[in-house]
Amino acid sequence: MGTLELILILGSISASTTAFIWMAMMHSSKPIGKNNTEDLLNERANVDVESIFNDEFREELRNRGRLHFEKIIGENAMFLQQDLRLTTSQLNEYMKTEITNKLREEFAKYEESITDAKQLAVDSITKTQDAIEEQRRMMSQQIQQEIAKERQRIITRFEDNMADIINHYVLEAIGDQIDLNDQLEFILSDLEQNKEAMIRDIKSGA
Amino acid sequence: MAHDNKDKDSLKGNSFLLPVGVVSKVDVARLIRDISALDDFLVSSAVREPGTNVKLPKTSRLMDEVFEINKLNPTNKPDRSKLIELLKTVKNDAPQIHISFNLEPSPQFIQRLIKWLRDEMHPLMLLKLGLQPGIGAGAIVRTTNKYFDFSLRERFSASKEILLQKIRLVSIDTASKPKEVPENSIEETRQVNIAETTGV
Repeated sequence: MGTLELILILGSISASTTAFIWMAMMHSSKPIGKNNTEDLLNERANVDVESIFNDEFREELRNRGRLHFEKIIGENAMFLQQDLRLTTSQLNEYMKTEITNKLREEFAKYEESITDAKQLAVDSITKTQDAIEEQRRMMSQQIQQEIAKERQRIITRFEDNMADIINHYVLEAIGDQIDLNDQLEFILSDLEQNKEAMIRDIKSGA
Repeated sequence: MAHDNKDKDSLKGNSFLLPVGVVSKVDVARLIRDISALDDFLVSSAVREPGTNVKLPKTSRLMDEVFEINKLNPTNKPDRSKLIELLKTVKNDAPQIHISFNLEPSPQFIQRLIKWLRDEMHPLMLLKLGLQPGIGAGAIVRTTNKYFDFSLRERFSASKEILLQKIRLVSIDTASKPKEVPENSIEETRQVNIAETTGV
């Protein structure tokens, strides 16, 4: 930016100098007519030439250059500001687009991960439910079997007890009523059936 | 010692006989005691002065019977000694069988039983009786190493399955029949329902 301003200032100075030089050359190249007029003009030209490059004129040129320079700087600043705003706007738009895309991608990935995790959790829950159901079914069967066994055991015990009660009742009821003499034949029959074993045991001794 | 061996041989040879009235070792011991008393009396009477007051020993029917069936003379000292030794051998070595009944057996029953045992198993078999009222009927026999249960209780236990089958059949029949509700209970139920409905 400094170089450009310097070039512009130098360009304007050189243009002004070239214009004055050209005007002076034009006055000097006119044919010599009326002497007085020419002299006057020359004198006036000399005065003007001298006045052109006096301090006031230089100050005026400096002011003009300053104004022009400020104008150019202002215009450039404006352009630069516009460019900067445009760039900023584009950059914002770009950033917005990029961030949106990036966020969209990340959200998509996140959503996919969540979906996968959800599916995984659902599968796990389904497997767990299946396992629990299987376990419940096995336990139900086992409990049913245990209940059946327990019921059978209770029934068997009840029947045994009932048989013992009946046997005991019958023995108590008829035990004293049977005469031993009537039982002798049966006892001898039983002894006869086991006679060999008894004789073997007696002969073998203690 | 040689005498003892001879007695055991006589036992094995079944030459010595016991009357059916001698059932247990207690009876054998009593016989030994009675014969020994007789022997002591006869020995002492031989050296006693005539006319002295003496107390005669008691003799039993079993003692007479054992002398008789073994063809021994009780007045003969060697016969008495031999019989005492034989009885001691019987007491120590004769086989014994233990039989329990639910009632106290009569003497006739015991004699028939001991006769069968001596005829069928061993001629010098001794019997030891027991009493087990819980067996109902029959007998429980115990030899040296074995146990035989011929009781009614054991027969009932062996036939328990038949009894259980009968009980199950009765249970099934009872369960299959519809319950008959007595007419009185229906009337009472009806009265209760009416009372509940009317609030009386």
